[in-house]
Amino acid sequence: MTDRGESDDDTLRTGDGVDAGESSTAAETEAGESTTGTETDAEDETREGLESDGGVSEPAPSSPGVAPESVDGLLEGVESAGIEGYNYAYLDEHTKREVRRATLKAIAIPGHQVPFASREMPLARGWGTGGIQVSLSLLGPDDTFKVIDQGSDESVNAANIRRLAETTANVDPTRDTTAASIIQTRHRIPEEVLTDEQILVLQVPTTDPLRKVDGSDDRNRRRHAHQNYSKMWVSLYENVVEWDEIQIGAAYPVLVNGRYLMSPSPIPRWDTPKLHQAETLFLFAAGREARIYAVPPHTDVEPLAFEDKRFQRERFPEACALCGSTDTYRTEVETDDGKRLYACNDTSFCEKRQRDPSIQKAHHVDRDVGWERLEEPAVDAANDGGEGR
Amino acid sequence: MRALGIDPVGDVRATFRALVDATARPGTIQSTPTAPADRAVLATLVDHEVGLYTEDDRVADALSSEGRLERAAVADADVVHVDGAGAVDLEAVSRGTLKEPSDGASIVYRVDALREDPAASRLGVAVSGPGVPSERTFGVDGLTADELAAFEELTVDFPRGVDVVLAADRAIVGLPRSVDTEVR
Repeated sequence: MTDRGESDDDTLRTGDGVDAGESSTAAETEAGESTTGTETDAEDETREGLESDGGVSEPAPSSPGVAPESVDGLLEGVESAGIEGYNYAYLDEHTKREVRRATLKAIAIPGHQVPFASREMPLARGWGTGGIQVSLSLLGPDDTFKVIDQGSDESVNAANIRRLAETTANVDPTRDTTAASIIQTRHRIPEEVLTDEQILVLQVPTTDPLRKVDGSDDRNRRRHAHQNYSKMWVSLYENVVEWDEIQIGAAYPVLVNGRYLMSPSPIPRWDTPKLHQAETLFLFAAGREARIYAVPPHTDVEPLAFEDKRFQRERFPEACALCGSTDTYRTEVETDDGKRLYACNDTSFCEKRQRDPSIQKAHHVDRDVGWERLEEPAVDAANDGGEGR
Repeated sequence: MRALGIDPVGDVRATFRALVDATARPGTIQSTPTAPADRAVLATLVDHEVGLYTEDDRVADALSSEGRLERAAVADADVVHVDGAGAVDLEAVSRGTLKEPSDGASIVYRVDALREDPAASRLGVAVSGPGVPSERTFGVDGLTADELAAFEELTVDFPRGVDVVLAADRAIVGLPRSVDTEVR
């Protein structure tokens, strides 16, 4: 039923263009030759629709009017029908200016959520549309671009975003954190130390950390205006009373530059200290909520905590089963034969460690970075996390 | 923007990256692909969505020919183009509100020269705050200590304030509202 409907649509659309008209005629002739009148009209129509559709998506100059017959032929058409007609880096310049103005204001007011006119992108809102808009407005032909999704370069979403940038902005793709000039990421900050040559673009699903204590955006923006974060503190206190610990997994609220309460996006607590006095510029973008915010390099970023209930990073009972790391963020995975094990979440660094177990997170910089040597918190340690910041 | 000798895609992107670096690392000298840098910055940021105050007719004409010019008075402008000390009454510039501080204006300020060495310039400036490891210094010709103090005055009730880009030839220096400046 659905198939039929779609093919009808296609037939209608093909009537509009000259090329389409030609291919449609060719398809008709072909169909007429190959059938001996046993097929019903409806089948004929469907076939015409499908074939002429192929002719539209691939106006291949080498074979004008001949519809491709295989899936490979169709795919080839999609690939060659590339990017002509699109502006450099996909976005039009008007959109880029909007994103760029908001980005600069965001850097100038660390932690403040700057509204911007978020555009429709070729993927659903909530799948990284904000991150793409910021990345594409930054990227140039001399950039090297890495995209990770939960620490993995190979997830479908990450691979597609990387490919969009590769085809439209002509950037070099990479999986190596140290080789990238711009890294777009969802839910992780890479394990390897980032440098002042790099910009990290984080995708943000929920911008305002206050939303869980008050659903009104208007009231929350007033709270930000007056730095009135008492409701957040009460919420954390209630957490401690109920659970004897601050029970926030990802997106741990932080205070930026002593002024704005900010959600660092759903990165694990493990990554939160990496924002503090970093060398790198962090840009946070939410396409659905149409906000951009930023943490410049060399800026104080402090997780909210009490004097007697300190901020703590995640604890892991086992080393990575693949590379043996004990100083990386690990996730529990189930293998095909039902075994459970812990493995590094940052797959690119895990692969490096598998090749060379001695490689350190700061192997490529000659600076002393505080957080990359933080000691592994003991599994049953009391609330004395000395890694507090 | 070809009227100004600026490639509307490539040069504008490179100028934006210079602005990102200048804003994220205040006090460092970044370079734009075309000169003068103030025109490059305006070509990068301004269109009809924002009000522009400028006395530079070449920029205004170039923007206008692309339908990108929306002139505004100093007090209403989102982008204020200042050509030299005293050209604009800085006190009048919009500083946004506490709730929407990003409505505060961006000031693109044309100066005579920018140098890394403060001693070699008429005005030495020390910058501290977010984006600066402890303190950074640079030198500028064509900006007075009074004007620098006026920028400071505009950001006393942070997060309200203005964000300044100093521009000379191909060089820009960012002074976002988050930083403190001092004459050195």
